[in-house]
Amino acid sequence: MADGAVEIMVNGTRHAVHVDPGTPLLYVLRNDLGLNGPKYGCGLGECGACTVLIAGRAARSCSVPVDVARHWPVTTLEGLVVDGVPDPVQDAFITEQAAQCGYCLNGMVMTVRALLNANPTPTEAEIRDALRYNLCRCGTHMEILNAARRACGLPVRVAAGG
Amino acid sequence: MDDIAHSGGFLAIVRPARAPGGLVARAVSIESLPDEIFVVVHATGGVTGYCGHVDLGTGIRTALAQIVAEELDVPFGDVTMVLGHTGETPNQGATIASETIQVSAIPLRKAAAHARAVLLDLAADRTGRPAAELDLRDGLVVSDLPLPDNAALTYGMLLDGQALRMRLDEDIPVKSPDRYRVVGRTVPRVDIPDKVTGRAVYVHDVRVAGMLHGRVVRPPYGGFDHGPFVGCSLRRVDRASVAHLPGMVDVVVIGDFVGVVAEREEQAAEAARLLHVVWDVPDLPDLSDLEGALLANPATPRRLLDRGDVDAALDGLAGRMDRTYLWPYQMHASIGPSCAVADWRADGLTIWSGTQNPHMLRADIALLADLPEDRISIVRHEAAGCYGRNCADDVCGDAMLLSRAVGRPVRVQLSREQEHVWEPKGAAQLMQVRGGVNPDGTPAAYDFSTRYPSNVSPLLGLVLTGIVPAALPSVVQMGDRTCIPPYAYDNARVTVHDMPPIARASWFRGVSAMPNSFAHECYVDELAAAAGVDPVEYRLRYMKDGRAAALLRAVARRADWVPRTAPRRIDPGKRVLRGRGVAYAQYVHGTFPGVPAAWAAWVADVEVDRRTGQVTVARVVVGQDSGMMVNPAGVRHQIHGNVIQSTSRALREEVSFDGCGVASREWGGYPLITFPEVPDIDVLMLDRQDQPPLGVGESASVPSAAAIANALHDATGVRFRELPFTPDRIRAGLDAALGALPEPEPEPLPQPLAARPAPLPALARQRLWTGLAALGTLCSTLGGLAVTASPWRPEIAPIARSDPGRFSAATIARGRALAAAGDCAVCHTAPGGIANAGGLELDTPFGIIRTTNITPDEETGIGRWSYPAFARAMREGIGRDGRHLYPAFPYTAFAKITEPDMEALYAYLMAQQPVRNVVPETKLAFPYNIRPMMAGWNVLYHDPRPFAPDPARSAEWNRGAYLAEGLGHCGACHTPRNALGAERWKRAYLGGGEAEGWDAPALSALSRAPVPWTADDLFTYLRTGFSERHGPAAGPMAPVVAEMARMPEADVRAIATYVASFDTRETGDLAAGDLAERIEDAAAVRQADAAWAGQGARVYGGSCSSCHEGQAAHMFGARPSLALNTNVAADRPDNLIHVILDGIAHPATPGVGAMPAFRDSLADGQIVDLVRHIRATFAPGRPAWDGVEATVARLRAAPSHAASHPVLP
Repeated sequence: MADGAVEIMVNGTRHAVHVDPGTPLLYVLRNDLGLNGPKYGCGLGECGACTVLIAGRAARSCSVPVDVARHWPVTTLEGLVVDGVPDPVQDAFITEQAAQCGYCLNGMVMTVRALLNANPTPTEAEIRDALRYNLCRCGTHMEILNAARRACGLPVRVAAGG
Repeated sequence: MDDIAHSGGFLAIVRPARAPGGLVARAVSIESLPDEIFVVVHATGGVTGYCGHVDLGTGIRTALAQIVAEELDVPFGDVTMVLGHTGETPNQGATIASETIQVSAIPLRKAAAHARAVLLDLAADRTGRPAAELDLRDGLVVSDLPLPDNAALTYGMLLDGQALRMRLDEDIPVKSPDRYRVVGRTVPRVDIPDKVTGRAVYVHDVRVAGMLHGRVVRPPYGGFDHGPFVGCSLRRVDRASVAHLPGMVDVVVIGDFVGVVAEREEQAAEAARLLHVVWDVPDLPDLSDLEGALLANPATPRRLLDRGDVDAALDGLAGRMDRTYLWPYQMHASIGPSCAVADWRADGLTIWSGTQNPHMLRADIALLADLPEDRISIVRHEAAGCYGRNCADDVCGDAMLLSRAVGRPVRVQLSREQEHVWEPKGAAQLMQVRGGVNPDGTPAAYDFSTRYPSNVSPLLGLVLTGIVPAALPSVVQMGDRTCIPPYAYDNARVTVHDMPPIARASWFRGVSAMPNSFAHECYVDELAAAAGVDPVEYRLRYMKDGRAAALLRAVARRADWVPRTAPRRIDPGKRVLRGRGVAYAQYVHGTFPGVPAAWAAWVADVEVDRRTGQVTVARVVVGQDSGMMVNPAGVRHQIHGNVIQSTSRALREEVSFDGCGVASREWGGYPLITFPEVPDIDVLMLDRQDQPPLGVGESASVPSAAAIANALHDATGVRFRELPFTPDRIRAGLDAALGALPEPEPEPLPQPLAARPAPLPALARQRLWTGLAALGTLCSTLGGLAVTASPWRPEIAPIARSDPGRFSAATIARGRALAAAGDCAVCHTAPGGIANAGGLELDTPFGIIRTTNITPDEETGIGRWSYPAFARAMREGIGRDGRHLYPAFPYTAFAKITEPDMEALYAYLMAQQPVRNVVPETKLAFPYNIRPMMAGWNVLYHDPRPFAPDPARSAEWNRGAYLAEGLGHCGACHTPRNALGAERWKRAYLGGGEAEGWDAPALSALSRAPVPWTADDLFTYLRTGFSERHGPAAGPMAPVVAEMARMPEADVRAIATYVASFDTRETGDLAAGDLAERIEDAAAVRQADAAWAGQGARVYGGSCSSCHEGQAAHMFGARPSLALNTNVAADRPDNLIHVILDGIAHPATPGVGAMPAFRDSLADGQIVDLVRHIRATFAPGRPAWDGVEATVARLRAAPSHAASHPVLP
């Protein structure tokens, strides 16, 4: 088993990777599949920068062994773009300019996508609750919340004054 | 420039090189350096601007492009900015002090204007018209009069075939702001679409052909970079400890620098974890008394202001107010740990870097590598925001050292723990004010002193390798930012105590100005209160700067500020107190007296929970006078970011230290503000587009802490002068000043009680029968015992290995399912070994027992065992050779297996692939090494008769009893044993036992599970490895559940029915689900009350809550409730501590998801506090655990078998 291939389905394509089955999914996505979306942030499932979708749900790929992930389809930030068209959640983040350094951005986009998969009409409180375990250090929370509101069909809060 | 020359023509504006320099000063000749380029206009269209500063996520790439487009009159989209590459961009020093727009953009702007002037001259030549009749717009030459040929004339046409290289004219006139068309308008950031779709290439995403992966191992003086121990504490590195690991390339050791290189990233991470390194552990400064440490640190006073006569004013002053303000060490806390790739080649060194200071870094790398600077190229990529300085430079040194050693490109990724521990911290700071108020309310005097222990933190590699001596730290004069108060106190003195660093520290957003302003603005608030004057009005009286006063007035008006002369009246019975505070500051950066950046003012509304001490910043009205705003949306975004980050710093952030240095090693040790806590922010940006632009990257942070502290005073009447305003600190202050609020009595939750008589297991029923009927069946029983009790048993002759072909496929399949029920492979498989080949070490009270090879290998397994030999071993505990087996092998349970099942098991085991694996013989200490003694034990405790069903029970229950008591041997772990290691079936069946150092919890009425087990819950648990009302299978139970996946569903259900019947507790009318919900709701309230109060709650909030809190249908994996978890309510903390230390690497089923290990991320003290917090919050009816410290220490030291238990294929 230790030397056998692990088969995973990522962004609609099946890949066989020759890694230890305990290898965190994040390393396989980044180093074997060359994907940039999921980012290493803490390795402990605390910050959310590595978030991907497993069977449509938000998963912290730094803490998911590839052996676990092989049972379901995996989607990364790149996989949300279909035929060159970004996902509406991605569009909302672009429209709202919801990034400073952008390192946490992957986790924010993927978490909002997963929230919408599970609950197509979330409330403001549900949005904040879903994002509460995703950390952002730049303080982009205002813009991220607006992007999430836009993606979830809630009114965007227009910046007051000048 | 060659590339440019090949492009068909260009115009470049250049300037002679300026003196470079690293963090470590040294002389460099600049005559040999090439000119620096600022702007290139390409004949093929497009413009490239070059800036030596970098974009740290603030959007300056976009703003700089706006400036170039404006001055050159080209469409914004035609401009590309190159930032920070040493080979291409000018050396403009470090990207600090928010000075990119204010300072570094000046030559860029001039270069663009210069290029425009040249283009205009070229246009005049080309058209034969005077330049005055021509204009440039959107990349075209335009004129009021028709141009020759009436054709459009582009810049590219003017430059076709030309190679123009001009020295920058520093006196070139630039555009008047009233003509701006691009600058001053909101422009979407150029980098965001790529970042949102995963196309952006951060430094973390750089992949070079042939690249290896490196990790570093840092010394035990975590986060300290000077002192006699730095660079010389390494004693030994045991390279053999990792030599066997797959993919290992090298271990590199230079002084105290230790790194590993491997083919793959996870291999490098594992090697760094396992590398055995022996260090001298130095005595580090004690920072538990931060104020004392700052006062004791040697300092040189520097007097920066001495106005009036402070001493005379203070002499005999009745309204004397001396105050001390304390700021903690804080972290930049970048979300992405630093990363770099280095490629060391014979012809030079390339480093792909996220540095903030490319040119300074190149100078430092030159020193570290002993290489001339012109052989080093730093390619700058975006990285995680750093707000000052993180480990981005240090990791470049690490990558260089590793690449040089192995001769291939190496990527080094720092761990979260390394980034937290080693980033140069924002320094602690102590501000002291001697002063007071005159009887007429005017300020009497303001004698301000500040202590700031920081330096520039030399590149870590330089001090770890000993290239730069670290015994004596340098001192820099950086504590003076905004040290001059903004108020015209008649008698004022300002003294900065310059001092060496204590912990490793460097600049962090609002460098020293944020703490200094915290003191200035809290103190002026106290003066106003003492004078009985509204705090806004009082500030305005002494504020001589007109733009500052205008800003403060505008912000007060925007916030509907209601003047007040004292804090609000406090209703002593009220739980939530509300207050409002104001503060103002102008961030002044650079060498004293420095360069002022934007003005900023805050009005903060806070809510204080009187009982818990929790502070919520509900709303912030923040105003800023930034002068000209190049990209107003970018400025607003910076203000938002500064408000949120500085609120987080004020409320929560503080680096903790222990004997190993920095103890905050992840987000539980250093929690940040989260989405639900983010305040509403109303931004007021003053229209000053006619004024020069000012730095906007930090200003809005500077008034934050004082505004919040002043609002706290308004709400509570109590002054808080020490950050952060954590619930424990606030509550202590409020309790001391106002008296403690009584704790409410929690509504009691229904306690499950034993309501039914417990069933008796067949094992106990039979023994009972044995005792009662002993006389009547003496002969037969004695006959049986005589055989069983004999200490000497005959060998059963070996046979040639059975031909697997003689067993039917159906029998083998049945045997496989039975083996799963019996968990044979769980114990007979070593970590990482082949199933059933033996070698797992069982740590029993009698010593280490090694499990045997039960594959049919003839030499090392059971290949030569006949069926009678096998059945005897299973039922009587006698090996084929006649030796007694130890009852760690549960033959006492296996005796109940029926003959057909036993035959099927034999068939399956013999049909396996034989595996040759010699397992060292188990050797217990005296007296347990005398195996014949086991005969006596068997007389006392072993009943070899087969299972007898209970006719009063259902067939399913009896099937469950047969499986659970026999093959499944549940009681082997879950039933307590007596002093001789025998299970106490009769009195305490399933009453809780022990397995491999883990508690095997009671499953009877003695269960501590908050909700009684039902057959359905237990079935779900055994099938999926997780029950919502109980939690996940972990430790030695995870592989048991994984094995049981091979059992038929009916058998698993039967076991669940049987075992659950022993939990005879009931909860009255409340259904199990309703009870679970009430327990969880009550726990959620307790957790909300305790949130962020004390280290345990903080670690829970930062480290645990992301997976254990609330319901989240959108999240993958189980979210185990701690309130319903048996281990949290258990008598001992062992299981909880096990799982914190080692996580759950191998979940019983994949859908449960794994849990990371916190062994290397949390210090013992943090785990102790966390365990106590979890116990108090999630098991409130249970007493606090004793000896948590000792248990943490013991379990950390113990080798963990269970952690490495593989889930079997």
